[in-house]
Amino acid sequence: MDAADYVNLIVSALLLAGIYAAMSVGMTIVYGVMKIVNLAHAGFLMLGAYFVLELYERLNIDPLLGSVLAFPVFLVAGMLVHWLLVRRVPVSDQPTLASLLLMFGLWLVLQNLGYLIWGNSDRSILTPRTLSSIHFGPITVPTVRLLVFIPAVCSLGLLELVLRKTWYGRAVRALMQNRYAGRLTGIPVEKMARLTFGVGIGFAGAAGGLLAQLYSFSPDFGRGFLLRSFVIIVLGGLESFWGAAAGALVLALVETFSILVLPAGYQPAIAFSLLVVALVLFPGGIAGIFAKKRRWA
Amino acid sequence: MKRISAFAAAGWLLAGLTTLGATSNAAAPKDIPIGVVLPLTGREAKPGQYQREGIDLAIKQINEKGGVFVRDLNQKLPLREVFYDDGSDQSKSAGLTERAMSSDNVEAVLGGYSTALGEAESVMPDRYQTPWITTGAAATSIFNRGYQWIFGTLSPVDLLGYTTAQFLGTLVDAGKLRKGLKLALALENTDHGVDYGNGIKKWIGEHNGYFTVVFSESFDLGSPDFSGLLQKVKNAHADIFLADAHLQDYITMHRQYVQAGMHHTMISYGARGPETDARKALGDATDYVFAGIWWSKSLPYPQVKKFVDDYKGFTGREPDSWYAATAYEAVRALATAIEKGGTLKKQTVRDELRKLDLEESLLPGQVLRFGKGGQVDTPFVIVQNKPGGKVDLVYPKDAANGEAVVPAQK
Amino acid sequence: MKAASVPMGRFLNYRVAAWGATLIVLGILPWGGISPNLTRLLFTSLVWVITSVAWSLLGGLTGQVSFGFAVFYGLGAYTAAMGINAGLDPLAAFAISGVVAAIASLLIGLPTFRLRGPYFAIATIGVSEAVRVVMTNLSFTGGASGYRIAEHGTFRPLEHYYTALGVAALAVGTSAWVHQSKFGLSLLAVREDEEAAADIGVNPLKTKLLVHLLAATLTGIAGGVYARYAAFIHPDGVFGFQTSVAILLMPIIGGAVTVAGPVIGAFVYGFVQEELVAAFPQFHLLLYGALLIVIILFEPGGVVGWLGKLWAWVKRTRRKSALASVG
Repeated sequence: MDAADYVNLIVSALLLAGIYAAMSVGMTIVYGVMKIVNLAHAGFLMLGAYFVLELYERLNIDPLLGSVLAFPVFLVAGMLVHWLLVRRVPVSDQPTLASLLLMFGLWLVLQNLGYLIWGNSDRSILTPRTLSSIHFGPITVPTVRLLVFIPAVCSLGLLELVLRKTWYGRAVRALMQNRYAGRLTGIPVEKMARLTFGVGIGFAGAAGGLLAQLYSFSPDFGRGFLLRSFVIIVLGGLESFWGAAAGALVLALVETFSILVLPAGYQPAIAFSLLVVALVLFPGGIAGIFAKKRRWA
Repeated sequence: MKRISAFAAAGWLLAGLTTLGATSNAAAPKDIPIGVVLPLTGREAKPGQYQREGIDLAIKQINEKGGVFVRDLNQKLPLREVFYDDGSDQSKSAGLTERAMSSDNVEAVLGGYSTALGEAESVMPDRYQTPWITTGAAATSIFNRGYQWIFGTLSPVDLLGYTTAQFLGTLVDAGKLRKGLKLALALENTDHGVDYGNGIKKWIGEHNGYFTVVFSESFDLGSPDFSGLLQKVKNAHADIFLADAHLQDYITMHRQYVQAGMHHTMISYGARGPETDARKALGDATDYVFAGIWWSKSLPYPQVKKFVDDYKGFTGREPDSWYAATAYEAVRALATAIEKGGTLKKQTVRDELRKLDLEESLLPGQVLRFGKGGQVDTPFVIVQNKPGGKVDLVYPKDAANGEAVVPAQK
Repeated sequence: MKAASVPMGRFLNYRVAAWGATLIVLGILPWGGISPNLTRLLFTSLVWVITSVAWSLLGGLTGQVSFGFAVFYGLGAYTAAMGINAGLDPLAAFAISGVVAAIASLLIGLPTFRLRGPYFAIATIGVSEAVRVVMTNLSFTGGASGYRIAEHGTFRPLEHYYTALGVAALAVGTSAWVHQSKFGLSLLAVREDEEAAADIGVNPLKTKLLVHLLAATLTGIAGGVYARYAAFIHPDGVFGFQTSVAILLMPIIGGAVTVAGPVIGAFVYGFVQEELVAAFPQFHLLLYGALLIVIILFEPGGVVGWLGKLWAWVKRTRRKSALASVG
């Protein structure tokens, strides 16, 4: 393997990391603010994929634009789900099994809805861009991966901007640190929770649309990504977005390069062992190394 | 107090469930129940659906003629499908097969799409002395266990690998490929992949000088990214790339293959290639991909043409790849065995299946015969995708309707 | 919570009698002429009773939610399968399954119990999945082809059934004992506040490791019992994530902090799941998901919690009508 091959692999891993980060940021938000482990995230990824597919096939809307459009649609959907279901579950500053199982049940329902509406075919989005590649000298970058990477990173950047600069963002960060104190300072916790849940689902829908351009999907879609999201947000520290980005990068690099030294069949084991090792060595995730230690109690 | 009420309720619950289990015995059978256990949801959902369609079509056609004639009872009895969706889950698949055999009193069970599900189900037939015909599992490890009640309408996968290599060998003999080319194998991490690889290696071992295997590794199904694996394949600098994968992985891997600008003289994904979903996903990137499959709608037999027309009338589309045909034939085999035996006694049906010589079969070779372990060994056909969405049958010569093309190097 | 604060004496006799009756009913049902299918469903449910009770000890009483119990189930399944193929008596094979799972629990628990809350849960997923992938690649256990048990002689469903019943009874008995023992109290203490527990002399790590070991042993034996019945096991099945999820769903459905809850949950899951799949092939996911949602929204205490409310309502109504008839 020559230098160009290595660079190609690194680029590949980087692009993959962007996708992974975009896919997991929705879960991070929901977990950070509401301490809910959203297993239905996979279901919303799937719905986002089908949403963009339908827009593309029926209205000829470019999938990238479709993914952007998915965000507000799923934001509203997420708020609806919160109003219908999530707010009835007791929340605390610790993740509850109840919320976890509620989300799991919701995921099953979403899957079945997918099967009823779209059947069990594997669908894909095929545009003229899908199979082309851009060449920067010896480096080959698949066009569609780059095109998906850009909005993914932009959305993360936008999110960070919102978190740092807006009132809403400050409130979210406050709630993530301490829910009760946040209430004391006058933050309307329930409304915030609804909006934040919506944002998390919005990101899930948009990410699903982005992923739909890279992979084929069926109503079963999202299961593998769910586990990887877990790895990422834990690697990154469950409450930090830059941590999630860092976690995504580490996972993508490990997944891509581990195959070079190990038989390909063991690759997922690497990701999961990495997860366990990271957890044990860095209990707060990568971001936790830099952040102050928090007390869980 | 809470706990006592819990137990009381548990007691009632149990009593209630017990009454559920009470089965009534019918005086005389009014139909022939056939258990069908296939995945309609989960990873294997699509092929499972196709196989069900094949079964349903066969049952419909048989019932339209009044059903299966049972000499013992001197009447024709319609077939009745008892269907269970196993959700692509092995323990469910095994449990539902058990249920069909033990509780629904089915005459036989058809099912087991995909090797893992078939393997789980294969334990049950001998246990309940009920014939079982798998329409979608081909691993030899199922059929070399000495089970007495199992049958399969799929030829062994190692024969698939063997035929693939054999086909490539004919291309060498015809001068379309050079001798001594290098093969890279990427095999799915299942029995299917293992058998496929073994078949290829067997042929190569028997025919010195034709090909060498320079790379062979297994990969995990359902992976979202094959960049690393494809990089390794690239590093092997092989001429021919042979992968064995499920449909989703075929689509993902081939997409990344094309995006990475990779190229090989010939490419195959095992038994996948002509699927409509793949064509829709990859467009003309699937051109010239070839596959070894158990059946093709391009087989030049009149019964195949009739089947394709009937299937189109039944479902509104042509059969996708091979899935429906092997299922259809399984029903026909079962119905024929019942008629030949003249009774619904399962032992007799099983014995008749063993002796079966079904003519005008849809399968390549036109005869369906179950081998010693219960598995058929009909030959495979090689199909190749051609531009414009066409699929040509390119091997064996006597069934071919198109020429094998070695696409020009880029 | 309620563990040791329960008054003994008469109440204890009620409970023992109730459990005893259940055991006897389950024991004679197969002889009473039930269909083979019902026997199979009961068998499956009994195996789930074992895992369900085991998980509830760790997840319910001690508050350590593990998403990776499939690793013990799978290790038990493979150990028993290989043992039986090697000629061991099945009961001996099951015992070894338990031992192997116990050892694994220590290896897994030592590093992961340092983690709290969701981190522990996620670590357990990581371990379970890593083991699954390794087993899929390991050729001497069959790898991706799975592993078959070659048992000669006719299949005797009752033998499997009574084995499962026996182990299930053992599991429930263990759980009942734990619930009313000082050990059970220390588990509750660890669940409520680890630091405070340490302050009063309970060693959180040792306690957690111990209950983990107990739970893992039972789950491993359950895996072995299942493997012998199914005669074919595969890493994606016994080590799969969906198995871990199923194992934790049952005690939740039934009520994770009680003795009876996991048992009820196991039977509900065993029967409802399959009947749903059989009756509604198009809708079973939706119905099952909706059922979960309803349980979580309206009675997170599970079936036991709901029954308790029902009983309380019945008592209130009875008292009201008694008062009305008097006054």
